[in-house]
Amino acid sequence: MNTLVITRVAQRQWHALDDDLVVGRGDASPRPDGRLFLSIDTWHDSVFERLAAAMLAALPRPLYTVVDEADLNLDTLWRQAGLTTRRREWEYIMASDSPPVPAPRGVTTVPTGTAQRRPLRRLDRTISAEIETSVGWDQMPAAVLSRPLHPARYMVAADSEAYVGLARLALLPKHTRIGLIAVRADHRRRGIARALLADVRRATHERGVATVSAEVHEANTAAIALFEEAGARRQGSNLELVIR
Amino acid sequence: MPKTNGHAVLAHISGKIRKNRIRILPFDRVLVELSPYDLTRGRILYRYRN
Repeated sequence: MNTLVITRVAQRQWHALDDDLVVGRGDASPRPDGRLFLSIDTWHDSVFERLAAAMLAALPRPLYTVVDEADLNLDTLWRQAGLTTRRREWEYIMASDSPPVPAPRGVTTVPTGTAQRRPLRRLDRTISAEIETSVGWDQMPAAVLSRPLHPARYMVAADSEAYVGLARLALLPKHTRIGLIAVRADHRRRGIARALLADVRRATHERGVATVSAEVHEANTAAIALFEEAGARRQGSNLELVIR
Repeated sequence: MPKTNGHAVLAHISGKIRKNRIRILPFDRVLVELSPYDLTRGRILYRYRN
């Protein structure tokens, strides 16, 4: 590998060439919140180091990446490049067949695709503001970041006056991923999230899909309690690394 | 990971797949890039929808 050349082939793409053979690729892509996430694929660690050095020198900081915590080699390579842990997210998996959980008195579930846009948007804004003033969006998994609000992605809990809780879902072919499950601050501690989660699992089961997954920040004790009480098990963890 | 031609390749997921948290499950159809240094090693670049 004496002739290794690192080339920036596009604004956010790099190639490592060895005798005209592409032996490594680096990529930077922006998340909806504007943060720039890196990925590097190489067949040799020495190529990774060269690509990482070129990318870190050329891109504006802070820069982020995500690694599976079980992938010790990749984790080590990024740390050698100067990145450090910003947060850890647990990945929870649960079966879709579950015993029914009664909703609190006066609360009903609005199935995906049937919520009205205007009250849903109002609830989304309320919950977004509450998260912003409490843990902050930067502490939430990337999957929950704001995106176009579409009723097909939401299961909603409603009382007689308004929508009070929501589950934002990705209905994937082989599983349902929960991006966000949240209840308005003035309606918490009533079992609304538990009932919503049970209905998400039931709806998943009814479409012939066996599993539901969610990623949870390690410090989010309320969400961890909700999922573990529902029988979810930890399947792995992801680390978000950063260099500032 | 058995290939359609009968050969087996040990493949890991690419950085982009990891970054986008795409999960690879048994029997998923995927696009694999073979290592130029070892044709029994590969990298999963893409998961097909079915």
